[in-house]
Amino acid sequence: MDKAERKLALTHEQLMSIEKPARYTGGEPNSVMKDSWRLRFAMCFPDVYEIGMSHLGQQILYGLMNSYEDVWCERVFSPWTDLDALMRREHIPLFALESQDPLKDFDFIGLTLQYEMCYVNILQILELSGLALRAADREDSDPVIIGGGPCVFNTEPIADFFDIFYIGEGESCYRELFDLYLKCRDEGLSKREFLIKATAIEGMYVPCLYDVEYDEKGRLKAMYPNTPGVPEKVRKTIVKDLDGVYYPTAPVVPFIQAAQDRAVLEVMRGCIRGCRFCQAGQIYKPVRRRSPETLLRYARELIDNTGYDVISLSSLSTSDYPELKELLEGLISFCSERKINISLPSLRIDAFSLDVMNKVQDVKKNSLTFAPEAGSPRMRNVINKGLAKEDILNGAELAFRGGWNRVKLYFMLGLPGEEEEDIRAIAELCNDIAMLYYDTVPKEERKGRVNITASSSFFVPKPFTAFQWAPMDRKENFLEKAAFTKRCVREQLNQKSISYHYHDSGTTIIEGVLARGDRRLSAAIEAVYRKGAVFDAWTETFSYERWIEAFEETGTDYGDYIYRERPADELFPWDYLDCGVTKAYLYREWQRAKEAVVTPNCRDRCAGCGCTGYGVGICVGK
Amino acid sequence: MSVSARIKFGRRGPVRYLGHLDMMRYFQRCVMKCSLEAVYSEGFHPHQLLSFAYPLGVSMETDGDYADLVMKDGADAGKVKEALNSVMHEGIYVREVRILGEGTLNAMASVAAADYELFVSAEEGLQEAASRILAEKELFTAGDGKKKPKDIRPGILELRAEGSRLFMKLLSGSALNVRPADVFEGMKTYLPEESKCTLIRRLEIYGTKDGKYVPLIEM
Repeated sequence: MDKAERKLALTHEQLMSIEKPARYTGGEPNSVMKDSWRLRFAMCFPDVYEIGMSHLGQQILYGLMNSYEDVWCERVFSPWTDLDALMRREHIPLFALESQDPLKDFDFIGLTLQYEMCYVNILQILELSGLALRAADREDSDPVIIGGGPCVFNTEPIADFFDIFYIGEGESCYRELFDLYLKCRDEGLSKREFLIKATAIEGMYVPCLYDVEYDEKGRLKAMYPNTPGVPEKVRKTIVKDLDGVYYPTAPVVPFIQAAQDRAVLEVMRGCIRGCRFCQAGQIYKPVRRRSPETLLRYARELIDNTGYDVISLSSLSTSDYPELKELLEGLISFCSERKINISLPSLRIDAFSLDVMNKVQDVKKNSLTFAPEAGSPRMRNVINKGLAKEDILNGAELAFRGGWNRVKLYFMLGLPGEEEEDIRAIAELCNDIAMLYYDTVPKEERKGRVNITASSSFFVPKPFTAFQWAPMDRKENFLEKAAFTKRCVREQLNQKSISYHYHDSGTTIIEGVLARGDRRLSAAIEAVYRKGAVFDAWTETFSYERWIEAFEETGTDYGDYIYRERPADELFPWDYLDCGVTKAYLYREWQRAKEAVVTPNCRDRCAGCGCTGYGVGICVGK
Repeated sequence: MSVSARIKFGRRGPVRYLGHLDMMRYFQRCVMKCSLEAVYSEGFHPHQLLSFAYPLGVSMETDGDYADLVMKDGADAGKVKEALNSVMHEGIYVREVRILGEGTLNAMASVAAADYELFVSAEEGLQEAASRILAEKELFTAGDGKKKPKDIRPGILELRAEGSRLFMKLLSGSALNVRPADVFEGMKTYLPEESKCTLIRRLEIYGTKDGKYVPLIEM
């Protein structure tokens, strides 16, 4: 097909009346056009193009599905508010970027759920597509709505809007699901019959096939399959061998500047660290990695296929990649020859990493980042963040000697068991780092003042973490704590070198509710959407008050989801899901957190989380 | 030693909605993809020495726009064209490449005039409007809070209608730069109210040589 002849869903005048029309015109390098297919899949990222195109997971599934001859996978992003208004006004149905065809014509609409604050955008996509919001109200001829991504580890607040949730890693079971779908379609089976059969595939959760009951206090009492043959538990599906699985070495390269405009090498999945607040650390277990040879081959292919001038290493903790030195040596030699920069996020700051950064990065001596997450050593034990103050100070000292003079620090406020002294310790740590600079760098070598930026977010307990039982701080406490942190910073000797920022507390509360809420929340989500909520992840469009009104109107006791410590025997809405780590392990970790006892990382000693059941990766010594 | 390759390119179809910076990024990536022997700048962040003659506005098509790329000595025009076209797609394509002689003014500094083709929704009154504009001594742009109205009439070198299309040769560059949309805006006074321009296509960019307008590829 001649791409220059490609049709567009929007007219010239419509395109010229909105911001960044190239968000909606498709046709980027490596995007896939097809003339024939048996199954069409619309892969939606419910946020703007620039955010969605930066997401590796979508590139993986897009490439994988298009590698199937009988499947055409296309991309969809949330239309920004300007196009949203235009589409409603002129009755234009939401379309996919490649074919520019309406979403209603597709067999599947897949929505990736990367953060809770995108939930209202799911409804925007469904409504603009001309589909009923709730699965129960949709027709057999409507596309199958399937959700995936990290938020499926508590599907229940959005369960009513979806037909299926795919729990786990997309590479493993989509082919099986498509084969089943095509077979059911050929046999003329109903959507419901297809969905029941789909539950036999690992990782497939069909919410309408489960009933829930609540007790007199309104808390979850039971959840069970309502249809024969449907399993009680849904097990997360994973990729067994990362070296053998599909990898997108020819990802779609956006024309317009995306948030992360670079080639990405996914080094590892999972994390050995076991930080108690971190959901990613648990749900992506067990730890698996790609070999340096595979990664170096991918790096060359990526550059040849994309023309990017930056390669970024991606994982939850790249410093824990055992062959890091070997990988970086290979990358450095290839990249310096091709004039390519290497970007190394999530790398612990030590002599090795500083040396590497000196070699590979566009060294304007940009700021260095530390994520102590908590200010005091006791609090860091509570969250199991094995980062000692000495490690931070040693790293900072090396960096200062190496010519850096800007340091960024990330903290959380509102962690379980937090005391005033823990918060004060945030300010003191910042001050100590500033002092270290003046002690380390002689006056004549200083380029102005050292610049320390501390940011704090407010802690949100997430499912499948040790803190899933923990209460969340109240909104007013968050603000008081932020104000207190600010006061403490101002009391420091080097306060002029420290700047402090904190995140919005309203967003945090809503995120907390959506993270650990249950099926009844769908009423509130629909209500807030009807009041005009869209792009909640953006401060310019988010409204806390609108959410509180929606909770009130739908009789949602939102505080019950977040403010109380949940008892040991409480049934969680996500308990039907087996993600590898057991509830018993997480509860042990919750108790150890209360005693501020550290648990060793899983390379040093197995903590018995339950993931050995998968029999892969680090659990079997790989 | 290095040489400059002058690249004449076209852009048609849906890619016309890209902005100028998007086009620059796209070209840089194409150069990277086909491993052209580009010369990089010195310094911490080496980048290609690639410059465009004249930014293409969002939604404008072109049959004759230009970019100069500094390359290692010995670059072959035919091979550069072939290599770039092997990695380009979607209606952006290289039409011609020429290795410039030493001392040739760069493309951006050379721009003196450009030809345009405008697609108009209706044929009615188009020729008449063109004649009227040409008959006038001055034509002021509307201007807004930031920009003062300016007289663009001296910069309209040619203007004629062919069916529902308009052809214009307009002065470009630092002295007086005339945008085709402004000329059409001025013509609207004499056109039916619903008349709209649906597509602007640049046809050629000229420099001056011996007092004549010459396409940049021949400079």
